Amino acid sequence: MFKKALLALPVAMAVGVAGTAAQAEWQDPNDVLQMLLEAQPDSKYLHQSEMNIMMMPDNPALWLLDDGERLFYEERGPNNASLESCDFGKGEGVLDGAYVELPRYFEDTGKVMDFEMRLVHCMKEIQGFTSDDSAVSQRHGSGSDIMRLTTYIAHQSSGYEWNPPLDHPKEKAMRDAGEVLFFRRGGAMDFNCAACHGASGKQIRASVLPEMRNSQEWTKAVSWPAHRAGQDNVRSQNHRIRGCVWQMRHAGILPDTPVNTALISYWNDAARGEPAILPDLKR
Amino acid sequence: MFNKNTVAAGVAAFASVALAAGCAVADGNKADDVDITAMSAEELAEHLIFETNSWRDQEMQEGGTWRDRMTQDDIQKACSFDSTRNDLDGETAGQVVALAREQYEAPEGDIELGDWRKGAELADSGYGYRIGHNVDDHGTREAGGNCYNCHVMDSSVSVQGTIGPNLENYGAQRGDSQEIRQYVHQVISNPHQYFPCTQMPRFQGLLTEEQISHIMAYLLDPESPVNNR
Ligand code: HEC
Ligand code: HEC
Repeated sequence: MFKKALLALPVAMAVGVAGTAAQAEWQDPNDVLQMLLEAQPDSKYLHQSEMNIMMMPDNPALWLLDDGERLFYEERGPNNASLESCDFGKGEGVLDGAYVELPRYFEDTGKVMDFEMRLVHCMKEIQGFTSDDSAVSQRHGSGSDIMRLTTYIAHQSSGYEWNPPLDHPKEKAMRDAGEVLFFRRGGAMDFNCAACHGASGKQIRASVLPEMRNSQEWTKAVSWPAHRAGQDNVRSQNHRIRGCVWQMRHAGILPDTPVNTALISYWNDAARGEPAILPDLKR
Repeated sequence: MFNKNTVAAGVAAFASVALAAGCAVADGNKADDVDITAMSAEELAEHLIFETNSWRDQEMQEGGTWRDRMTQDDIQKACSFDSTRNDLDGETAGQVVALAREQYEAPEGDIELGDWRKGAELADSGYGYRIGHNVDDHGTREAGGNCYNCHVMDSSVSVQGTIGPNLENYGAQRGDSQEIRQYVHQVISNPHQYFPCTQMPRFQGLLTEEQISHIMAYLLDPESPVNNR
């Protein structure tokens, strides 16, 4: 069984790195969703799929948690090491609330890193995997180690408010560059992200699009990992970026690159203060 | 023709980033050597796009590299603002309209409509110009217009988008004169002539003139289902 579901102990309000108090209480992803639905009865985006709302307690993404937990604690890779010494920003092996406080600046690499970048970094440095090993190279699909680990680790932050740190000048710089990227027109069809995510209740075909300025819509929008019913797979934030950049007819974006990090810095910041749904269930 | 200025503007931008950062332009993946806090947000965004190996090395369907595709032309630059916060100011709007008119190539002589049936397929098709992990192959399938992604044109067909205005009965309401045809050709080819900084793509260069004539028939031909709603 899932560790969290059994031990859903309310944790006292913690003080964030910035000195700002952020919600630091684990909540079941379905409870978070229900709260947002109640808060925004008129949001077409949040209410678009009755089916997914009904399915949420049995979200297939939850099936990845056990495997993810095992992969996290198991001694693996050429170095035969577990990921317990991986620091996601709140100390070695500390997972509670870590996912919602990314991207962040890491002293050991001198870089601002997003979650997937950091996970891959740890799998390489601590466990000794190389880019060619499927444990690291296979990024997408519910069967991949990366998605199982991502789902398990992110789940430990469910219900916590998005609170990516901006104290370090590089964190601020990446967030601000992400904002520029969000509005930067380019590619074969002149799109920027705002072309499709600028106004509320707009639709591309059957998809109602989330609006970035509505933080309660946006927290659901950025709450990945999520099971995508249409693709029958659990997907990541990076997979979403790749999909939108592809639709935008920009160039083919590569994993572990700072364009991803900057966009995630900006979009997590846009959901700041709202609780994360981890994992979520989407169309 | 593809709507791009030269790459020169982009190159000048990187040079200034490198100067601002007080170092040589990063070679390969040496992004770490650059002080990103010394750049403006705009400079850093350009740096991230052009100097951090963030894109697959592929040939674009229109020719050229990822660098060509990611380099902004003047209209893209002028329209890269947050329109939910700032309205387009009159001066920029005027410049964008002028640029769009300059880019636009009018057809010679009278404009003929093509086949609305083909136009219906093209309006529906979202194929074309996508690249990266899954490349649209224009050799096996022609690029489409994506119109349904943003417009309702014939609501009986399938679910259609609402980013742009509803175009049902477009021709039935406006008629099918040469003036209307010219206007529609201008809008599809380069909509910034009328709607500066619109979200609608410029299709001149992305679609052939023949394809555009089919789509125009779909919008304007009295027989087209669009005009019998
Ligand atoms: C051409 C329109 C378009 C553009 C431009 C676009 N997106 Fe999207 N985006 C979509 C669609 C459509 C979906 C929903 C997918 C679905 O439901 O199948 C989506 C979904 C999302 C989501 C997740 C919300 C959800 O419910 O699935 C996020 C976050 C997002 N986009 C961010 C971005 C970012 C960042 C950019 C710029 C890099 C961008 N989008 C550009 C069309 C677009
Ligand atoms: C990304 C969304 C998008 C796509 C794709 C798109 N359009 Fe548009 N279109 C718009 C928007 C938005 C407007 C409204 C202009 C404005 O105010 O920006 C518009 C306006 C128009 C108009 C002018 C309506 C008038 O008032 O006279 C026509 C005609 C039109 N589009 C046809 C098309 C056709 C044909 C296609 C496909 C080849 C297409 N559009 C593709 C977004 C789109």
